[in-house]
Amino acid sequence: MSLVFIPEDMDWVCEPCGERLQPGKVELTYLGNAFHVELPVCPKCGAVYIYEELALGRIHEVEQLLEDK
Amino acid sequence: MSRVVGTVGSVCPECLGRVEGRLVEDGGCVRLVKRCPEHGEFSTVVWRGEPAFSSWARPKIPFGGGPREAVGQGCPYDCGLCARHNQRTCTALVEITTRCNLGCPVCFADSRGAGRDLDHDTLARMFEQVMARTGGCNLQLSGGEPTVREDLPQIVAMAKRAGFGFVQLNTNGLRLAEDPCLAVELVEAGLSSIFLQFDGVREDVFRSLRGRDLFEIKVRSVDNASAAGLGIVLVPTVARGVNTDQLWDIVRFGLDRQPHLRGVHFQPMSYFGRYPENFTPDHVTLPELMTGLEAQSGGIVKVCDFLPPGCEHALCSFSGKYMTREDGSFTRLGSASCDCTPKPAEAGALKSIGVTARQWSSPAALSPNPPCPGQGAEPLAGRGAAPRISSPPTPDNDLDRFLARARTHTFTISAMAFQDAWSLNLDRLQGCCIHVAQPDGRLVPFCAFNLTSRDGRGLYRGRG
Repeated sequence: MSLVFIPEDMDWVCEPCGERLQPGKVELTYLGNAFHVELPVCPKCGAVYIYEELALGRIHEVEQLLEDK
Repeated sequence: MSRVVGTVGSVCPECLGRVEGRLVEDGGCVRLVKRCPEHGEFSTVVWRGEPAFSSWARPKIPFGGGPREAVGQGCPYDCGLCARHNQRTCTALVEITTRCNLGCPVCFADSRGAGRDLDHDTLARMFEQVMARTGGCNLQLSGGEPTVREDLPQIVAMAKRAGFGFVQLNTNGLRLAEDPCLAVELVEAGLSSIFLQFDGVREDVFRSLRGRDLFEIKVRSVDNASAAGLGIVLVPTVARGVNTDQLWDIVRFGLDRQPHLRGVHFQPMSYFGRYPENFTPDHVTLPELMTGLEAQSGGIVKVCDFLPPGCEHALCSFSGKYMTREDGSFTRLGSASCDCTPKPAEAGALKSIGVTARQWSSPAALSPNPPCPGQGAEPLAGRGAAPRISSPPTPDNDLDRFLARARTHTFTISAMAFQDAWSLNLDRLQGCCIHVAQPDGRLVPFCAFNLTSRDGRGLYRGRG
């Protein structure tokens, strides 16, 4: 699996846990469709960081393509 | 045993006077039964079979914004929109001509060979009025047959300048078939999509509904529109015993012509405008289309794929969105069910405007259309070939794999049941989002605009 969704700047820390985020396999689901990607994950609590460019770019486009009237 | 499942306002098919009607269910079949004091009782089937009538709901919180006409005689006599209308405009129709080059036996607009065209000043004013009144919507250029106008590309450009992001052409495809350059000129002017009259894949269907053989012409119009880079939606008029057996064949025809062919939008024949003289109203209902599609496709599509709309009244339409995968499989996208708690009508309309524009336009991932020779560009060896699909590096993650395919291979199957004097339900009319723009600025719901009595008298058409 590609690391394309891991931002160049991986200097991110999960504030509640104080843990440095690590690349992790994540399943994104929307309207019954599942997408397996690799994203920064807190190794302690499992929180996933989705950076702005990904949220407003690919994920927004996927959402639009999946949505119906 | 029959039971009354609702009461609705309607009109008498003879005099168009307002009457009350009852929705009477009997064995999965729902009839609209109404009585005019002068002309007697009328009973019309409006729902037949599965999914159950009672299950087909998507309630909306009425939208009352925008300029409204005063309520005078009440629905359906004050359209424009009046203060009682419950939905904003999703799609505005502008009828740019009353002329037509086909003269079908069946025509909601009752278009004929001759008539007047709206001039540019009037059209520019109408486009501005629609933008101002609606706050922005999708636009369909209609008629008559719009392509009989030589200045059609200029009209499309005017609409784009007025601010419409999605401009669609309602057409029989004859001129697009005979002149490959026309589609190119329309794309260059800013046209997004064509709504192509396309009733079947056999000539007997065209002979019955259109009076002549047209299949080869329709294929050529699709080829030319595809080559130019237009999004294409096939629009079959469905009449019982004429083409109800080829619903899936029409979808297959469309799927074979992706990516430019973006969907099929079935429209059961309504009894307004021009229709066969000696008739007994026999509407092909939405559930019959859904079950017909499931049966004819061998279960590739299913009745449960289709959902009622979030924009117009639930009883007016259904739609399902799909994607063809690389292996040829056909997968449904979107919600598994609709959230049936009341939602703001305006939000549904705004969503529908965006979803419709994206789905019915040519895929954004396709490269620009090839120019037409003699139009200021050098002739291309590849003219007439389908535009190339941009080829990003092979995606190596699920999101990008999905995007690479879905950008070009989503496909919608939908239907809209227009209402006529026999089937008119004023609750549905008040939820209408498809409005015919008038030169004086009024926006008249489509089914009110086209409504005609048995002897052909209308409330709005020709009285603008």
